Amino acid sequence: MNLVSLQNWLDNASFAVLFLTMLLYWIGAAFPGLPAINALGTAGMAIANLSIATLLGARWIEAGYFPLSNLYESLFFLSWGITTVHLIAENSSRSRLVGVFTTPVAMGIVAFATLTLPSDMQVSEPLVPALKSNWLMMHVSVMMLSYSALMVGSLLAIAFLVITRGNNIQLQGSSVGNGGYRTNGYRLMKAGELVSQPATPPVENNGFTRLESQNNGNSNTAVLNLATTPQTPTLTSTETLSPQRLSLAETLDNISYRIIGLGFPLLTIGIIAGAVWANEAWGSYWSWDPKETWALITWLVFAAYLHARITRGWQGRRPAILAASGFVVVWICYLGVNLLGKGLHSYGWFF
Amino acid sequence: MTTDNSAPTASPWWSLPGKFLRREFLPVLTDLRLAIALLLIIALFSISGTVIEQGQSPAFYQSNYPEHPALFGFLTWKVIQVVGLDHVYRTWWFLSLLVLFGTSLTACTFTRQLPALKTAQRWKYYEEPRQFQKLALSAELDAGSVNSLSQILQNRRYKIFQEKDDILYARKGIVGRIGPIIVHIGIVTILLGSIWGAMTGFIAQEMVPSGETFQVKNIIDAGPLAAGQFPQDWSVRVNRFWIDYTPKGGIDQFYSDMSVLDNQGQEVDHKKIFVNQPLRYHGVTFYQTDWGISGVRVRLNKSPIFQLPMALLNTNGQGRIWGTWIPTKPDLSEGVSLLAKDLQGMVLIYDAQGKLVDTVRAGMSTQVNGVTLKVLDVVGSTGLQIKADPGIPIVYTGFGILMLGVVMSYFSHSQIWALQKGDRLYVGGKTNRAQVAFEQEVLDILERLNSQSATVINQQS
Repeated sequence: MNLVSLQNWLDNASFAVLFLTMLLYWIGAAFPGLPAINALGTAGMAIANLSIATLLGARWIEAGYFPLSNLYESLFFLSWGITTVHLIAENSSRSRLVGVFTTPVAMGIVAFATLTLPSDMQVSEPLVPALKSNWLMMHVSVMMLSYSALMVGSLLAIAFLVITRGNNIQLQGSSVGNGGYRTNGYRLMKAGELVSQPATPPVENNGFTRLESQNNGNSNTAVLNLATTPQTPTLTSTETLSPQRLSLAETLDNISYRIIGLGFPLLTIGIIAGAVWANEAWGSYWSWDPKETWALITWLVFAAYLHARITRGWQGRRPAILAASGFVVVWICYLGVNLLGKGLHSYGWFF
Repeated sequence: MTTDNSAPTASPWWSLPGKFLRREFLPVLTDLRLAIALLLIIALFSISGTVIEQGQSPAFYQSNYPEHPALFGFLTWKVIQVVGLDHVYRTWWFLSLLVLFGTSLTACTFTRQLPALKTAQRWKYYEEPRQFQKLALSAELDAGSVNSLSQILQNRRYKIFQEKDDILYARKGIVGRIGPIIVHIGIVTILLGSIWGAMTGFIAQEMVPSGETFQVKNIIDAGPLAAGQFPQDWSVRVNRFWIDYTPKGGIDQFYSDMSVLDNQGQEVDHKKIFVNQPLRYHGVTFYQTDWGISGVRVRLNKSPIFQLPMALLNTNGQGRIWGTWIPTKPDLSEGVSLLAKDLQGMVLIYDAQGKLVDTVRAGMSTQVNGVTLKVLDVVGSTGLQIKADPGIPIVYTGFGILMLGVVMSYFSHSQIWALQKGDRLYVGGKTNRAQVAFEQEVLDILERLNSQSATVINQQS
């Protein structure tokens, strides 16, 4: 089997599949009633994920080292990461909105790699001396995975901002745990009881009201379909206490928080792996190289996001705005720094 | 409360500053908004250092940031130099920000995180049905029992607290509460380690011709307590420096074969170093970072072998070329220039008019000005970065703690309460991070409770 022609075929195929998948998600969002379009979108994402994985695997076999040495390979690795994290996020949020935002980004990255990059930058080259180390795989792969998780997390934050525009909303879920309480006050559930407390927000809500129903955006498609979970009549009857479900906005926000929460440790480990590698290779674990500095800036921005979630009075759209701006910061860290054209992390070409 | 009034008069005067700090300063220091502001301010100033060139000469800033017109109306070279934007990461105000950041982290750990952890560990049973009503994820079942719930929770790796048959508390992921504390400890450890390293470490650079012995002398940066680190009673010999080239002519790897010598010149250590593979001896590390050509060994007719030093020529950034001049008459009135651009053995010979006479491989000879010039060898020199950083063990420990902490922090601390009251089973729970996953889990648990009790009822009837 000719590995090079397989790669050429696969990179075009991934682009085509991702483009179609993006259209599927957008059509699905515009016309919520269409049957089977949801499953097709997820399938498209899975196919793209597998073909990119095969492409990278073929390059690994061809070159004999982990395929993360130039821009072309790292772009494909990034889009593989984004499709993977997308599948995780979609599965746990059961929201079709995830794909509306992730597919264009994944498609754009693959389009740039296949169509815009000059072909001499697409071939795999021997590693330069500085990259000949097992740390390459440790550092770069973890960094790329963290970028993809943080990007998907920020995209979900953007989705959250889009569907909650105009609303004041209180977030759930943070390290101090200010979520998990009912929003309708201490309403007594028995029908026979006369006394019921007014539905004023409890103290935990800081005066914000929770977004009550799924009346925003294209709720028909994006609602989490958990309601089908079999619940016995005892649970659903109005008389008894039954679980209060998260709204679409809360679900999106929490998935965004969890995905960023996954990307943040990866970013930390990736930066530390890079620091240890730098110390082993040329004797300084931190030299304020622009790429290093921007990785630190990314880390600081998302650390600020995680702290904003536990700040009284700031829970709501404010942390989500921080997370959404994190999307830009990650891109500057990944590509923008290289436009400055200095430092150790050059991809060749003008980057 | 009456004692409050007399308290200030009773306390000795020297406790006042401490009291002032605790009352006025500590609340500000541990305010989360300060922490977020610090994170973003450090990020912002870090950005300035990646946009404005760092560590250039004053002339560079004068030509690139003129006073008229000033960039953005204010950014002139004078501003840059007064504020220190040409070396942002070493300015007093940036370092103070980092110190403030570390102080805030430490204070926050003691005043917020540890008490919060204590609260999280101090749980209690819910003994009244109304306590379940405030939880979003709570339900009232007319089937199932606390014991069957206990079994389900056990399978889901919950830690279960149950003293009686009708009441239960279960939790998992308490590490998620400890994680952020570990993260803060890790960051503070890294900051302390880097301060210690900056105080006691040094960096040096040496360019050493192949075959020569050297002592570490060219120290470019050293901390105030670094003197004890300088190698005094041992030296290093570069036995050989060479470059492996790929078949296409690209550089495959740089190698320096090095020996550590004691006072008597005896070899005490020996290692072949290359990029990513340094030599370590007595806390000092030698890294392969650069290379050059130090000289060329030639013979004219039947002369003894001369080793002539080669100098790096100014090419205005058009690649690196080394050159030397070789006299071809004993009175030095005539000679040729010899140029080399790498260690692959090829040298170029030019005459006094600048005309290319010949290209010669090492080991071959040529005729110039009526003499036989034999080029024996091009001698490389190795560029070494030499460093001692006693802070490394502390920093690496901090790295380990930080990584452990961030991973721990991913776990969500989930708690579940249950109470059997009459024929009713109340179940409720909350979690601090993974709301969506926990909702799913609670629904699954409730469903299982229902189906289990349904089968029990079926079997009984």
